[in-house]
Amino acid sequence: MRSNFLKAQTQLPERTFVREARRASGTEGLIGVSLLAVFVTAALFAPLLAPYDPAAFVGRPLERPGAAFLLGTNDVGQDILSELLFGARVSLVVAVGAAVGTVLLGLLVGGVAGYLGGWVDAALMRGVDVLLALPQLPLIILITTLTGAGLAQMTLTMALLFSPGMARIIRAQMFNQRGRAYVKIAQRFGASPLYIFRRHMLPHLAPLLIVGLVTAAGRAAAMEAGLAFLGLGDPSAKSWGLMMRYALNLPGLLLTDRWLWWLLPPGLCITLLILALTFTGMRLEKRLNPGGQSS
Amino acid sequence: MSAPLLSVQNLRVSFASPDGNVRALDGVALELARGGALAVVGETGSGKTTLARALLGLHPAECVAGSIRLDGDELNRLDEPGWQRVRWRRIALAAQNAGTAFDPVYRAGEQIVEPLRLHLGLSETEAWQRARTLAEQTGLTERHLRAYPHQLSGGEKQRLMLAMALSCQPDLLVLDEPTSGQDMRSRAQMIALLRRLRAQSGLALLLISHDLAAAAALTEQTAVLYAGKVVEAGATRDLLTTPRHPYTWGLLNAYPNMTTTRDLSSIRGQMPDPARPPDGCRFHPRCNQAVDDCRRFEPPLERRGGRLVACHLGGVQTLLQADNLHKTFVTNGHAGPDSLIEAVRGVSLAVLAGEVVGVVGETGSGKTTLGRLLAGLLTPDAGAIYFEGQDIQAVNGAEGKNLRRRIQAIPQDPFESVDPLFTVRQIVRQPLDIQRIQGDRDALVRDALAAVGLPAEGGFLQRRPHELSGGQLQRVVIARALVLEPRLLVADEPVSMLDPSEGARLMNLLKRIQNERGMGMLLISHDLALVRKVADRILVMRGGAIIEQGLSSVVISRPQHDYTRALLLAAPSFNWFPDGSQGADESPDINNTGDQ
Repeated sequence: MRSNFLKAQTQLPERTFVREARRASGTEGLIGVSLLAVFVTAALFAPLLAPYDPAAFVGRPLERPGAAFLLGTNDVGQDILSELLFGARVSLVVAVGAAVGTVLLGLLVGGVAGYLGGWVDAALMRGVDVLLALPQLPLIILITTLTGAGLAQMTLTMALLFSPGMARIIRAQMFNQRGRAYVKIAQRFGASPLYIFRRHMLPHLAPLLIVGLVTAAGRAAAMEAGLAFLGLGDPSAKSWGLMMRYALNLPGLLLTDRWLWWLLPPGLCITLLILALTFTGMRLEKRLNPGGQSS
Repeated sequence: MSAPLLSVQNLRVSFASPDGNVRALDGVALELARGGALAVVGETGSGKTTLARALLGLHPAECVAGSIRLDGDELNRLDEPGWQRVRWRRIALAAQNAGTAFDPVYRAGEQIVEPLRLHLGLSETEAWQRARTLAEQTGLTERHLRAYPHQLSGGEKQRLMLAMALSCQPDLLVLDEPTSGQDMRSRAQMIALLRRLRAQSGLALLLISHDLAAAAALTEQTAVLYAGKVVEAGATRDLLTTPRHPYTWGLLNAYPNMTTTRDLSSIRGQMPDPARPPDGCRFHPRCNQAVDDCRRFEPPLERRGGRLVACHLGGVQTLLQADNLHKTFVTNGHAGPDSLIEAVRGVSLAVLAGEVVGVVGETGSGKTTLGRLLAGLLTPDAGAIYFEGQDIQAVNGAEGKNLRRRIQAIPQDPFESVDPLFTVRQIVRQPLDIQRIQGDRDALVRDALAAVGLPAEGGFLQRRPHELSGGQLQRVVIARALVLEPRLLVADEPVSMLDPSEGARLMNLLKRIQNERGMGMLLISHDLALVRKVADRILVMRGGAIIEQGLSSVVISRPQHDYTRALLLAAPSFNWFPDGSQGADESPDINNTGDQ
């Protein structure tokens, strides 16, 4: 009896905890990936899914949701649902572009610094420190104002701003790998730097890169929405942030229930997209790096 | 110098056999001075006994070609009556199988008297008189002469054989394995007896033996016979202390004695089939250092530094030589000034082809640094390293790649030395991929895995390091080192991470592979008990310098340096309770007989 009691005491909590944790991480991953799939589908098939051309003045201004316009129209008579669907394209293009740029730049700077070490490393890392020390939002506002508001400039600027963090992580991992006995052994066999990078560095960097990619995408999506909302985005690319800006520009929007179908849907979309990317990132981090085995 | 007593030139003995012509002796040349002593040594089947029988004309005349001169008289063209006059009176043979050489129905004495009467024409009484003198000389008594052969012991029969051989006062006594099959005490007596006889009578000895200690004790000159050819000849002392020919070196290493604690090692492979000797040098299939020339051309027996050696390379090659190596590490002290650690200070060493050299010393003695320098994982601050005669710091490019391939390192910790993301197949294949080795790389991988006793099928090939035991992984690491077929292995504490039984298995495996492939090996370990089991030579390191070096047997049995003695005492032993305070149920004589 006593032993059974002890068993129950010691085993039960741990078991349930593990199961719960597993279930939770599985669920969050599922939510993240499904949401992401919805957004990607919307962006890819926007022309097919959208009932109208988002730029065309198809209805009367400020129409309520109905059979013709599922989410109503805005103040100039454009279909809000169509705007929303095409807006996904802008958000995802910026997110993916900035994320890829971040990872590539980080890999370049961190990789070179980590592989070569010495004064190259010192110089590159001081540059990284400077970029990390600067406040990001004011800086990006400054840069987009100076370079003119275009999606490409914005994406590149974000990549530049996000990459220092990435570069640091990559450099640390490269340093870690460079000192490994098996790397020394491969070098003694006559392996070229490219071989070492390809076979011994990149596979160990992969989890970091994938997680970094997803995280950067989430941050980029949020930042793009913010910039567009502030009016610093590309006025020709109608993103969710820009939609919210226009909605809030209507005097007395919040006095009626119009905000429910004009302001709320783009806000919800941004929130859900960032949530989806975050969940996916969390899940990937756990899966690719179980117990910190590869680091 | 006067004309030699015995001069053998280009002696060839061949027998017809169903397999073809068997050349038991192929161009043997020997010389023996009057009163001198020559040992002919070699493994079973090298043609030693054929030589002894040829010197007494015991082979059919058509089988023997070449020249055998005794005091200037050519013996090889003698007919049987001519040989009758030479045998016993001028050359006598004490044959190998003393046990069966006697006629069981005659008394021992009668069998000595017989040749005396026959060859010297002595009367019955004279002959018996002489027989008694001979018996006395060989340490036998009247009683032995009256006994029947079956009543005598092996040693006594051997003496009787000797007495018979000496009966006609020959100029040359041929002894075929006089000491084989005897216990150590009668062997020592036999050697003492032969030495005394030589001193008394000025008799010349030709000793045919595989017993190198007997050769050392009895002779001034030694010839080493291999597959019917003399491969090395010279002064016995020089030859046995600094062997030149790889075969002589192997014979010496295979020779068991009381001062060697090392496990028996052997020359790899088998003596070739005498009907089909290999092309080129006959020893090349078993040689640790064979090059292309050895496979194609037969090496002549040439004079090299006061000795005759038949080897294209002039004898055992130095595989790795290090001259006056220095390595200093700088540790940047964050709190104080930088400090210098002199890890290796003026170390010089050499590893011969096929030799196992053990480097022992405690932690911090610089032995790992030395190993890393020799394996090319570190660059020395001063000094030079030569591998097969090439300065390893001077070569680069394709030659450097080839060089790196021939020296392989086995690190201490297998888990650190493999990429955790690689599979077994990728790990072992990596050196082949990097070096772009032509051919079926996966087949080479399977061969290497099989050589270290691991399964080479699909499932195992796909496993990753964390799925393997320490022993398995260390075997994988060894397979990775072997896949490039190195000439030298630098093994730094290869088994220290493993439990003792797995460690012993792995060490046996490593030693076997080293022996089979004829690789040189530098074994670095703090474990003197382990090193002495496998190493031919031991270097003792302390504070970055070699303080003692020598043959394993000598270093273990007669350590010169206090530090070596301390290491020996600290080595693990089963003498756990030296003060006798062991458990009551243990038998006390275990400790009392165990020497310190």
